[in-house]
Amino acid sequence: MIRVEDLVYRYENRNGRVLNGISMEIEQGKHVGVIGANGCGKTTFVRHLNGLLTPTAGEVWVEGINTRDTASVQAIRQRVGMVFQNPDNQIVGMSVEEDVSFGPGNLRLPPLEIHRRVEESLAAVGMEKYSERQPHTLSSGEKQLVAIAGVLAMKPGCIVLDEPTTYLDPSARKRVLEVITRLNKQGITIVHVTHDMDEIAEADEVVVLHEGKIALRERPSEVFTRVEWLRDLGVGIPKVTEMMWRLRQRGVTVRTDIFSLEEACSELAALIGPQIG
Amino acid sequence: MHIGQYIPGDSIIHRLDPRVKIGSTILLSILILKGGVFSGSLISAFLMALIPASRLGLNPMVKAFRPVLVFFALLFCVHLFFTDGNPIPPFPLWRVTLTYEGLYTGAITTWQFALLILSASILTMTTLPTELVSGIERLLRPLKRAGVPSEDLAMMVSVALRFVPTFLEEIDTIKAAQMARGASFGSGPFIRRIRATLSLLLPLVLRTFRRADDLVTAMEARAYRRGPRSYMKELSMSRADYAAVLVMMGITCLHFIGM
Repeated sequence: MIRVEDLVYRYENRNGRVLNGISMEIEQGKHVGVIGANGCGKTTFVRHLNGLLTPTAGEVWVEGINTRDTASVQAIRQRVGMVFQNPDNQIVGMSVEEDVSFGPGNLRLPPLEIHRRVEESLAAVGMEKYSERQPHTLSSGEKQLVAIAGVLAMKPGCIVLDEPTTYLDPSARKRVLEVITRLNKQGITIVHVTHDMDEIAEADEVVVLHEGKIALRERPSEVFTRVEWLRDLGVGIPKVTEMMWRLRQRGVTVRTDIFSLEEACSELAALIGPQIG
Repeated sequence: MHIGQYIPGDSIIHRLDPRVKIGSTILLSILILKGGVFSGSLISAFLMALIPASRLGLNPMVKAFRPVLVFFALLFCVHLFFTDGNPIPPFPLWRVTLTYEGLYTGAITTWQFALLILSASILTMTTLPTELVSGIERLLRPLKRAGVPSEDLAMMVSVALRFVPTFLEEIDTIKAAQMARGASFGSGPFIRRIRATLSLLLPLVLRTFRRADDLVTAMEARAYRRGPRSYMKELSMSRADYAAVLVMMGITCLHFIGM
Protein backbone atom coordinates (compact mmCIF):
# COMPACT_ATOMS: atom_id res chain seq x y z
CA MET A 1 0.00 0.00 0.00
CA ILE A 2 2.55 2.57 1.16
CA ARG A 3 6.32 2.27 1.02
CA VAL A 4 8.65 4.76 2.69
CA GLU A 5 12.36 4.71 1.86
CA ASP A 6 15.00 6.62 3.80
CA LEU A 7 12.65 9.53 4.35
CA VAL A 8 14.45 12.69 5.42
CA TYR A 9 12.68 15.99 5.96
CA ARG A 10 13.82 19.38 7.10
CA TYR A 11 11.74 22.53 7.18
CA GLU A 12 13.16 25.46 5.28
CA ASN A 13 14.78 28.15 7.42
CA ARG A 14 15.06 25.76 10.31
CA ASN A 15 18.07 23.82 11.45
CA GLY A 16 18.04 20.12 11.97
CA ARG A 17 16.14 17.29 10.40
CA VAL A 18 12.61 16.69 11.58
CA LEU A 19 12.65 13.27 9.98
CA ASN A 20 15.96 11.50 9.81
CA GLY A 21 15.86 8.39 7.69
CA ILE A 22 12.56 6.57 8.10
CA SER A 23 11.95 3.40 6.15
CA MET A 24 8.88 1.25 6.48
CA GLU A 25 6.23 -0.51 4.53
CA ILE A 26 2.54 -0.36 5.37
CA GLU A 27 0.62 -3.33 4.05
CA GLN A 28 -2.94 -3.14 2.80
CA GLY A 29 -5.52 -3.70 5.53
CA LYS A 30 -3.15 -3.21 8.47
CA HIS A 31 -3.85 -1.07 11.50
CA VAL A 32 -0.71 0.85 12.40
CA GLY A 33 -0.42 3.00 15.51
CA VAL A 34 2.10 5.84 15.59
CA ILE A 35 3.22 7.27 18.92
CA GLY A 36 6.01 9.52 20.07
CA ALA A 37 6.73 12.56 22.21
CA ASN A 38 5.73 16.06 21.10
CA GLY A 39 8.03 17.25 18.36
CA CYS A 40 9.25 13.77 17.42
CA GLY A 41 7.94 14.23 13.87
CA LYS A 42 4.70 12.21 13.99
CA THR A 43 2.62 14.77 12.14
CA THR A 44 5.42 15.59 9.72
CA PHE A 45 5.81 11.88 9.01
CA VAL A 46 2.17 11.12 8.30
CA ARG A 47 1.80 14.22 6.14
CA HIS A 48 4.21 12.56 3.76
CA LEU A 49 1.87 9.62 3.29
CA ASN A 50 -0.50 11.52 1.01
CA GLY A 51 1.89 14.03 -0.45
CA LEU A 52 0.94 17.02 1.71
CA LEU A 53 4.70 17.17 2.27
CA THR A 54 7.33 15.86 -0.12
CA PRO A 55 10.58 14.41 1.22
CA THR A 56 13.79 16.46 1.38
CA ALA A 57 15.52 13.16 0.63
CA GLY A 58 14.23 9.64 0.19
CA GLU A 59 11.02 8.45 -1.40
CA VAL A 60 7.41 7.73 -0.52
CA TRP A 61 5.34 5.45 -2.74
CA VAL A 62 1.57 5.11 -2.56
CA GLU A 63 0.39 2.05 -4.48
CA GLY A 64 3.38 2.43 -6.75
CA ILE A 65 2.96 6.20 -7.28
CA ASN A 66 5.80 8.40 -6.09
CA THR A 67 4.51 11.32 -4.04
CA ARG A 68 6.97 13.59 -5.85
CA ASP A 69 4.97 13.08 -9.02
CA THR A 70 3.02 16.35 -9.13
CA ALA A 71 0.76 15.10 -11.90
CA SER A 72 -0.56 12.35 -9.62
CA VAL A 73 -1.35 14.49 -6.59
CA GLN A 74 -5.09 13.87 -6.87
CA ALA A 75 -4.64 10.13 -7.37
CA ILE A 76 -2.54 9.99 -4.19
CA ARG A 77 -4.97 12.08 -2.14
CA GLN A 78 -7.84 9.89 -3.31
CA ARG A 79 -5.97 6.73 -2.17
CA VAL A 80 -4.79 8.04 1.19
CA GLY A 81 -7.35 10.11 3.11
CA MET A 82 -6.48 12.18 6.14
CA VAL A 83 -8.43 13.13 9.26
CA PHE A 84 -6.99 15.91 11.41
CA GLN A 85 -6.95 16.80 15.06
CA ASN A 86 -9.22 19.85 15.17
CA PRO A 87 -12.78 18.98 14.12
CA ASP A 88 -13.68 22.63 13.46
CA ASN A 89 -10.90 23.33 11.03
CA GLN A 90 -11.47 20.54 8.54
CA ILE A 91 -15.12 20.93 7.67
CA VAL A 92 -15.49 22.93 4.49
CA GLY A 93 -19.15 22.63 3.59
CA MET A 94 -22.11 24.64 4.81
CA SER A 95 -24.03 21.44 5.49
CA VAL A 96 -22.98 17.90 6.40
CA GLU A 97 -23.81 16.41 3.01
CA GLU A 98 -22.16 19.27 1.19
CA ASP A 99 -19.02 18.72 3.22
CA VAL A 100 -18.94 15.01 2.52
CA SER A 101 -19.42 15.79 -1.19
CA PHE A 102 -16.36 18.06 -1.18
CA GLY A 103 -13.79 15.31 -1.89
CA PRO A 104 -15.74 13.54 -4.64
CA GLY A 105 -16.52 16.97 -6.12
CA ASN A 106 -12.80 17.70 -6.29
CA LEU A 107 -12.36 14.39 -8.11
CA ARG A 108 -15.01 15.69 -10.53
CA LEU A 109 -17.29 12.69 -10.20
CA PRO A 110 -20.76 12.91 -11.75
CA PRO A 111 -23.54 14.23 -9.45
CA LEU A 112 -25.35 10.90 -9.10
CA GLU A 113 -22.17 9.11 -8.06
CA ILE A 114 -21.41 11.86 -5.53
CA HIS A 115 -24.90 11.54 -4.14
CA ARG A 116 -24.53 7.77 -3.75
CA ARG A 117 -21.15 8.07 -2.05
CA VAL A 118 -22.36 10.76 0.35
CA GLU A 119 -25.21 8.50 1.48
CA GLU A 120 -22.96 5.45 1.83
CA SER A 121 -20.25 7.31 3.72
CA LEU A 122 -22.63 8.95 6.15
CA ALA A 123 -24.28 5.58 6.78
CA ALA A 124 -20.86 4.00 7.37
CA VAL A 125 -20.19 6.38 10.27
CA GLY A 126 -23.80 6.37 11.51
CA MET A 127 -24.47 10.00 10.61
CA GLU A 128 -27.06 9.50 7.85
CA LYS A 129 -29.73 11.39 9.80
CA TYR A 130 -27.56 14.50 9.98
CA SER A 131 -27.10 15.10 6.25
CA GLU A 132 -28.91 18.45 6.20
CA ARG A 133 -27.43 19.78 9.44
CA GLN A 134 -25.12 22.76 9.54
CA PRO A 135 -21.65 21.95 10.90
CA HIS A 136 -21.78 24.38 13.82
CA THR A 137 -24.81 22.59 15.24
CA LEU A 138 -22.83 19.36 15.63
CA SER A 139 -20.81 18.21 18.63
CA SER A 140 -17.06 17.77 18.26
CA GLY A 141 -17.46 14.00 18.04
CA GLU A 142 -20.10 14.31 15.33
CA LYS A 143 -17.89 16.71 13.39
CA GLN A 144 -15.06 14.20 13.55
CA LEU A 145 -17.37 11.46 12.22
CA VAL A 146 -18.39 13.79 9.39
CA ALA A 147 -14.70 14.36 8.66
CA ILE A 148 -14.20 10.59 8.45
CA ALA A 149 -17.23 10.31 6.15
CA GLY A 150 -15.74 13.06 3.98
CA VAL A 151 -12.62 10.96 3.55
CA LEU A 152 -14.56 7.72 2.99
CA ALA A 153 -16.48 9.35 0.14
CA MET A 154 -13.25 9.36 -1.84
CA LYS A 155 -13.00 5.55 -1.43
CA PRO A 156 -9.45 5.54 -0.09
CA GLY A 157 -7.42 2.39 0.51
CA CYS A 158 -5.86 3.98 3.55
CA ILE A 159 -6.99 6.52 6.14
CA VAL A 160 -4.46 8.45 8.19
CA LEU A 161 -5.82 9.85 11.45
CA ASP A 162 -3.66 12.46 13.13
CA GLU A 163 -4.71 12.52 16.79
CA PRO A 164 -8.41 12.53 15.90
CA THR A 165 -9.68 12.22 19.47
CA THR A 166 -7.74 15.04 21.15
CA TYR A 167 -10.73 17.39 21.35
CA LEU A 168 -13.32 14.75 22.15
CA ASP A 169 -15.05 13.73 25.36
CA PRO A 170 -14.81 10.05 26.40
CA SER A 171 -18.09 8.89 24.81
CA ALA A 172 -17.38 10.65 21.52
CA ARG A 173 -13.87 9.22 21.59
CA LYS A 174 -15.32 5.74 21.97
CA ARG A 175 -17.68 6.28 19.04
CA VAL A 176 -14.87 7.48 16.77
CA LEU A 177 -12.60 4.60 17.79
CA GLU A 178 -15.37 2.09 17.08
CA VAL A 179 -15.81 3.53 13.60
CA ILE A 180 -12.05 3.31 13.01
CA THR A 181 -11.98 -0.34 14.08
CA ARG A 182 -14.97 -1.14 11.87
CA LEU A 183 -13.43 0.50 8.81
CA ASN A 184 -10.24 -1.45 9.39
CA LYS A 185 -12.23 -4.70 9.50
CA GLN A 186 -13.71 -3.74 6.14
CA GLY A 187 -10.18 -3.79 4.73
CA ILE A 188 -9.17 -0.13 4.91
CA THR A 189 -5.61 0.44 6.03
CA ILE A 190 -5.47 2.63 9.15
CA VAL A 191 -2.55 4.76 10.27
CA HIS A 192 -3.48 6.17 13.66
CA VAL A 193 -1.32 8.81 15.34
CA THR A 194 -2.12 9.22 19.02
CA HIS A 195 -0.91 10.29 22.42
CA ASP A 196 -3.03 7.70 24.13
CA MET A 197 -1.60 4.18 24.16
CA ASP A 198 -5.02 2.71 25.00
CA GLU A 199 -6.33 3.77 21.60
CA ILE A 200 -3.90 1.59 19.69
CA ALA A 201 -3.96 -1.43 21.95
CA GLU A 202 -5.65 -3.42 19.18
CA ALA A 203 -3.40 -2.23 16.36
CA ASP A 204 -1.43 -4.76 14.32
CA GLU A 205 1.74 -2.88 15.05
CA VAL A 206 2.92 0.24 16.83
CA VAL A 207 5.60 2.55 15.51
CA VAL A 208 7.41 4.59 18.16
CA LEU A 209 9.04 7.69 16.70
CA HIS A 210 11.89 9.42 18.46
CA GLU A 211 13.84 12.40 17.13
CA GLY A 212 12.77 11.74 13.57
CA LYS A 213 13.61 8.06 13.57
CA ILE A 214 11.76 4.84 14.19
CA ALA A 215 12.82 3.88 17.70
CA LEU A 216 10.69 0.77 17.84
CA ARG A 217 8.27 -1.05 15.59
CA GLU A 218 6.49 -3.88 17.35
CA ARG A 219 3.19 -5.44 18.27
CA PRO A 220 1.36 -3.38 20.93
CA SER A 221 1.71 -6.03 23.63
CA GLU A 222 5.46 -5.92 23.14
CA VAL A 223 5.60 -2.11 23.21
CA PHE A 224 3.51 -1.81 26.35
CA THR A 225 5.99 -3.81 28.40
CA ARG A 226 8.63 -1.12 28.01
CA VAL A 227 7.03 1.53 30.18
CA GLU A 228 10.27 2.86 31.66
CA TRP A 229 11.88 3.15 28.24
CA LEU A 230 8.83 4.90 26.79
CA ARG A 231 8.85 7.34 29.67
CA ASP A 232 12.46 8.15 28.93
CA LEU A 233 11.48 8.95 25.36
CA GLY A 234 8.69 11.12 26.70
CA VAL A 235 5.93 8.93 25.33
CA GLY A 236 2.69 7.50 26.48
CA ILE A 237 2.54 8.78 30.00
CA PRO A 238 -0.52 10.75 31.03
CA LYS A 239 0.33 14.34 31.96
CA VAL A 240 -0.91 13.86 35.52
CA THR A 241 1.28 10.82 36.02
CA GLU A 242 4.25 12.72 34.69
CA MET A 243 3.57 15.63 37.02
CA MET A 244 3.41 13.30 40.04
CA TRP A 245 6.55 11.56 38.87
CA ARG A 246 8.39 14.88 38.65
CA LEU A 247 7.16 16.00 42.07
CA ARG A 248 8.47 12.76 43.48
CA GLN A 249 11.86 13.45 41.86
CA ARG A 250 11.99 16.81 43.62
CA GLY A 251 11.45 15.07 46.91
CA VAL A 252 7.71 15.52 47.37
CA THR A 253 6.25 12.33 48.76
CA VAL A 254 3.32 11.57 46.43
CA ARG A 255 2.08 8.43 44.72
CA THR A 256 3.10 8.07 41.07
CA ASP A 257 0.49 5.48 40.05
CA ILE A 258 -2.07 8.20 39.39
CA PHE A 259 -3.77 8.54 36.00
CA SER A 260 -6.71 10.90 36.52
CA LEU A 261 -6.95 14.56 37.41
CA GLU A 262 -9.39 13.90 40.28
CA GLU A 263 -7.01 11.47 41.94
CA ALA A 264 -4.13 13.87 41.56
CA CYS A 265 -6.21 16.71 43.04
CA SER A 266 -7.19 14.75 46.11
CA GLU A 267 -3.64 13.47 46.54
CA LEU A 268 -2.24 16.99 46.40
CA ALA A 269 -5.05 18.43 48.52
CA ALA A 270 -4.27 15.85 51.19
CA LEU A 271 -0.65 16.96 51.06
CA ILE A 272 -1.24 20.72 51.10
CA GLY A 273 -4.36 20.77 53.27
CA PRO A 274 -2.77 20.29 56.74
CA GLN A 275 -0.20 23.02 56.07
CA ILE A 276 -2.81 25.64 55.19
CA GLY A 277 -4.83 24.54 58.18
CA MET B 1 -27.78 37.55 13.14
CA HIS B 2 -31.27 36.62 12.04
CA ILE B 3 -31.72 39.20 9.31
CA GLY B 4 -32.54 37.44 6.09
CA GLN B 5 -31.55 34.03 7.37
CA TYR B 6 -32.86 31.02 5.52
CA ILE B 7 -36.21 29.75 6.75
CA PRO B 8 -36.77 26.11 5.78
CA GLY B 9 -39.90 25.47 3.75
CA ASP B 10 -41.26 23.70 0.74
CA SER B 11 -43.13 26.47 -1.06
CA ILE B 12 -42.96 27.06 -4.79
CA ILE B 13 -40.65 30.02 -4.13
CA HIS B 14 -38.33 27.82 -2.08
CA ARG B 15 -38.14 25.33 -4.93
CA LEU B 16 -37.32 27.81 -7.69
CA ASP B 17 -33.87 27.60 -9.25
CA PRO B 18 -31.52 29.93 -7.34
CA ARG B 19 -30.35 31.43 -10.65
CA VAL B 20 -33.92 32.52 -11.39
CA LYS B 21 -34.34 33.95 -7.90
CA ILE B 22 -31.03 35.83 -7.95
CA GLY B 23 -31.66 37.14 -11.47
CA SER B 24 -35.17 38.25 -10.52
CA THR B 25 -33.95 40.02 -7.41
CA ILE B 26 -31.34 41.93 -9.41
CA LEU B 27 -33.89 42.83 -12.09
CA LEU B 28 -36.45 43.95 -9.51
CA SER B 29 -33.82 46.10 -7.79
CA ILE B 30 -33.07 47.89 -11.04
CA LEU B 31 -36.77 48.41 -11.77
CA ILE B 32 -37.37 49.68 -8.22
CA LEU B 33 -34.57 52.24 -8.45
CA LYS B 34 -35.37 53.33 -12.03
CA GLY B 35 -39.12 53.39 -11.74
CA GLY B 36 -41.66 55.82 -10.31
CA VAL B 37 -44.95 55.46 -8.51
CA PHE B 38 -46.44 53.11 -11.08
CA SER B 39 -43.54 50.59 -11.05
CA GLY B 40 -43.28 50.94 -7.30
CA SER B 41 -46.94 50.06 -6.81
CA LEU B 42 -46.71 47.19 -9.26
CA ILE B 43 -43.63 45.70 -7.56
CA SER B 44 -45.08 46.29 -4.10
CA ALA B 45 -48.17 44.32 -5.05
CA PHE B 46 -46.00 41.59 -6.56
CA LEU B 47 -43.73 41.26 -3.49
CA MET B 48 -46.73 41.32 -1.15
CA ALA B 49 -48.14 38.42 -3.14
CA LEU B 50 -44.83 36.56 -2.79
CA ILE B 51 -44.99 36.58 1.02
CA PRO B 52 -48.02 34.25 1.22
CA ALA B 53 -46.75 32.32 -1.83
CA SER B 54 -43.48 31.58 -0.04
CA ARG B 55 -45.37 30.75 3.19
CA LEU B 56 -42.93 32.79 5.23
CA GLY B 57 -45.54 34.64 7.28
CA LEU B 58 -45.23 38.25 8.37
CA ASN B 59 -43.11 37.67 11.48
CA PRO B 60 -39.73 37.18 9.83
CA MET B 61 -40.45 40.17 7.57
CA VAL B 62 -41.12 42.39 10.58
CA LYS B 63 -37.87 41.10 12.12
CA ALA B 64 -35.97 41.91 8.93
CA PHE B 65 -37.26 45.49 8.93
CA ARG B 66 -36.81 46.30 12.60
CA PRO B 67 -33.05 47.02 12.47
CA VAL B 68 -33.38 49.36 9.47
CA LEU B 69 -36.26 51.50 10.73
CA VAL B 70 -33.91 54.15 12.14
CA PHE B 71 -32.17 54.30 8.79
CA PHE B 72 -35.53 54.75 7.07
CA ALA B 73 -36.49 57.58 9.40
CA LEU B 74 -33.16 59.29 8.77
CA LEU B 75 -33.46 58.85 5.01
CA PHE B 76 -36.94 60.31 5.04
CA CYS B 77 -35.99 63.29 7.20
CA VAL B 78 -32.93 64.18 5.15
CA HIS B 79 -35.09 64.43 2.05
CA LEU B 80 -37.87 66.21 3.90
CA PHE B 81 -35.65 68.95 5.31
CA PHE B 82 -33.05 69.42 2.62
CA THR B 83 -35.00 69.47 -0.64
CA ASP B 84 -35.63 72.84 -2.30
CA GLY B 85 -39.12 73.67 -3.52
CA ASN B 86 -42.51 74.97 -2.38
CA PRO B 87 -42.74 75.23 1.40
CA ILE B 88 -45.64 73.49 3.16
CA PRO B 89 -47.82 76.32 4.69
CA PRO B 90 -46.80 76.89 8.36
CA PHE B 91 -43.17 76.76 7.20
CA PRO B 92 -40.62 78.29 6.90
CA LEU B 93 -40.54 78.56 10.69
CA TRP B 94 -37.35 80.18 11.96
CA ARG B 95 -34.88 78.57 9.54
CA VAL B 96 -36.60 75.24 9.09
CA THR B 97 -38.36 74.57 5.82
CA LEU B 98 -40.41 71.57 4.81
CA THR B 99 -41.28 71.33 1.15
CA TYR B 100 -43.84 69.39 -0.85
CA GLU B 101 -40.99 68.18 -3.04
CA GLY B 102 -39.10 66.97 0.02
CA LEU B 103 -42.13 65.12 1.31
CA TYR B 104 -42.56 63.47 -2.07
CA THR B 105 -38.93 62.43 -2.69
CA GLY B 106 -38.54 61.35 0.94
CA ALA B 107 -41.56 59.11 0.69
CA ILE B 108 -40.51 57.67 -2.67
CA THR B 109 -36.89 57.01 -1.61
CA THR B 110 -37.90 55.35 1.65
CA TRP B 111 -40.43 53.26 -0.21
CA GLN B 112 -37.78 52.20 -2.74
CA PHE B 113 -35.40 51.12 0.00
CA ALA B 114 -38.15 49.21 1.77
CA LEU B 115 -38.86 47.35 -1.47
CA LEU B 116 -35.17 46.55 -1.97
CA ILE B 117 -34.95 45.06 1.51
CA LEU B 118 -38.18 43.17 1.06
CA SER B 119 -37.10 41.56 -2.21
CA ALA B 120 -33.62 40.70 -0.87
CA SER B 121 -35.19 39.20 2.27
CA ILE B 122 -37.53 37.02 0.26
CA LEU B 123 -34.51 35.78 -1.72
CA THR B 124 -32.33 34.93 1.28
CA MET B 125 -35.18 33.55 3.39
CA THR B 126 -36.26 31.10 0.72
CA THR B 127 -32.83 30.09 -0.60
CA LEU B 128 -30.19 28.01 1.19
CA PRO B 129 -26.77 29.68 1.33
CA THR B 130 -25.44 26.66 -0.55
CA GLU B 131 -27.93 27.27 -3.34
CA LEU B 132 -27.18 30.99 -3.38
CA VAL B 133 -23.49 30.28 -3.82
CA SER B 134 -23.96 27.70 -6.56
CA GLY B 135 -26.46 30.03 -8.25
CA ILE B 136 -23.96 32.90 -8.24
CA GLU B 137 -21.24 30.56 -9.47
CA ARG B 138 -23.39 29.37 -12.36
CA LEU B 139 -24.39 32.94 -13.25
CA LEU B 140 -20.75 34.05 -13.27
CA ARG B 141 -19.59 31.08 -15.35
CA PRO B 142 -19.99 32.87 -18.71
CA LEU B 143 -17.59 35.54 -17.39
CA LYS B 144 -14.80 32.95 -17.13
CA ARG B 145 -13.60 33.88 -20.59
CA ALA B 146 -13.05 37.37 -19.24
CA GLY B 147 -10.88 35.89 -16.52
CA VAL B 148 -13.41 35.75 -13.67
CA PRO B 149 -12.56 32.60 -11.63
CA SER B 150 -16.18 31.74 -10.84
CA GLU B 151 -15.48 28.39 -9.07
CA ASP B 152 -12.80 29.91 -6.86
CA LEU B 153 -15.05 32.83 -5.97
CA ALA B 154 -17.87 30.45 -5.12
CA MET B 155 -15.51 28.38 -2.96
CA MET B 156 -14.36 31.51 -1.13
CA VAL B 157 -17.89 32.73 -0.47
CA SER B 158 -19.03 29.32 0.69
CA VAL B 159 -16.09 28.87 3.09
CA ALA B 160 -16.67 32.39 4.42
CA LEU B 161 -20.35 31.67 5.07
CA ARG B 162 -19.50 28.32 6.64
CA PHE B 163 -17.23 30.01 9.18
CA VAL B 164 -19.57 32.83 10.23
CA PRO B 165 -21.17 30.80 13.06
CA THR B 166 -17.74 29.47 14.08
CA PHE B 167 -16.42 33.01 14.44
CA LEU B 168 -19.43 34.08 16.46
CA GLU B 169 -18.81 31.18 18.84
CA GLU B 170 -15.15 32.10 18.97
CA ILE B 171 -15.94 35.71 19.87
CA ASP B 172 -18.13 34.43 22.71
CA THR B 173 -15.31 32.20 23.93
CA ILE B 174 -12.72 34.99 23.87
CA LYS B 175 -15.19 37.37 25.51
CA ALA B 176 -15.88 34.88 28.28
CA ALA B 177 -12.16 34.30 28.76
CA GLN B 178 -11.52 38.03 29.09
CA MET B 179 -14.52 38.61 31.33
CA ALA B 180 -13.25 35.84 33.58
CA ARG B 181 -10.15 37.97 33.98
CA GLY B 182 -12.08 41.12 34.79
CA ALA B 183 -12.87 42.75 31.45
CA SER B 184 -16.32 44.26 30.96
CA PHE B 185 -18.00 44.71 27.61
CA GLY B 186 -21.58 45.79 28.13
CA SER B 187 -21.02 48.86 30.29
CA GLY B 188 -18.84 51.91 30.80
CA PRO B 189 -18.16 54.95 28.65
CA PHE B 190 -18.30 54.62 24.90
CA ILE B 191 -14.51 54.82 24.40
CA ARG B 192 -13.90 52.09 26.94
CA ARG B 193 -16.43 49.82 25.30
CA ILE B 194 -14.72 50.36 21.95
CA ARG B 195 -11.37 49.54 23.50
CA ALA B 196 -12.81 46.39 25.07
CA THR B 197 -14.12 45.34 21.68
CA LEU B 198 -10.73 45.96 20.09
CA SER B 199 -9.16 43.65 22.63
CA LEU B 200 -11.30 40.88 21.12
CA LEU B 201 -9.98 41.58 17.69
CA LEU B 202 -6.35 40.59 18.11
CA PRO B 203 -6.94 37.11 19.54
CA LEU B 204 -9.67 36.57 16.96
CA VAL B 205 -7.38 37.49 14.07
CA LEU B 206 -4.56 35.32 15.40
CA ARG B 207 -6.85 32.33 15.82
CA THR B 208 -8.27 32.93 12.38
CA PHE B 209 -4.85 32.67 10.77
CA ARG B 210 -4.20 29.35 12.49
CA ARG B 211 -7.64 28.15 11.43
CA ALA B 212 -7.03 29.20 7.84
CA ASP B 213 -3.77 27.29 7.82
CA ASP B 214 -5.45 24.13 9.11
CA LEU B 215 -8.32 24.51 6.69
CA VAL B 216 -6.05 24.86 3.66
CA THR B 217 -4.22 21.67 4.66
CA ALA B 218 -7.51 19.83 5.15
CA MET B 219 -8.81 21.03 1.78
CA GLU B 220 -5.63 19.97 0.01
CA ALA B 221 -5.77 16.59 1.72
CA ARG B 222 -9.18 16.12 0.15
CA ALA B 223 -7.77 16.68 -3.31
CA TYR B 224 -8.90 20.29 -3.66
CA ARG B 225 -7.34 22.32 -6.40
CA ARG B 226 -8.36 25.56 -7.99
CA GLY B 227 -10.60 25.47 -10.98
CA PRO B 228 -13.55 23.33 -12.03
CA ARG B 229 -15.10 20.84 -9.59
CA SER B 230 -18.29 18.87 -9.82
CA TYR B 231 -21.24 19.23 -7.48
CA MET B 232 -23.70 16.86 -5.90
CA LYS B 233 -26.62 19.04 -6.89
CA GLU B 234 -26.59 20.26 -10.45
CA LEU B 235 -29.04 23.06 -11.10
CA SER B 236 -31.80 22.42 -13.60
CA MET B 237 -34.64 24.63 -14.73
CA SER B 238 -38.14 23.29 -14.13
CA ARG B 239 -41.43 24.40 -15.63
CA ALA B 240 -42.04 26.67 -12.62
CA ASP B 241 -38.68 28.34 -13.27
CA TYR B 242 -39.60 29.17 -16.86
CA ALA B 243 -42.96 30.47 -15.64
CA ALA B 244 -41.14 32.70 -13.15
CA VAL B 245 -38.94 34.05 -15.94
CA LEU B 246 -42.10 34.87 -17.95
CA VAL B 247 -43.62 36.67 -14.96
CA MET B 248 -40.47 38.75 -14.60
CA MET B 249 -40.56 39.60 -18.29
CA GLY B 250 -44.18 40.66 -17.87
CA ILE B 251 -43.32 42.96 -14.97
CA THR B 252 -40.48 44.49 -16.98
CA CYS B 253 -42.83 45.17 -19.92
CA LEU B 254 -45.42 46.77 -17.62
CA HIS B 255 -42.66 48.89 -16.10
CA PHE B 256 -41.76 50.33 -19.50
CA ILE B 257 -45.39 50.85 -20.50
CA GLY B 258 -46.12 52.67 -17.25
CA MET B 259 -43.16 55.03 -17.51
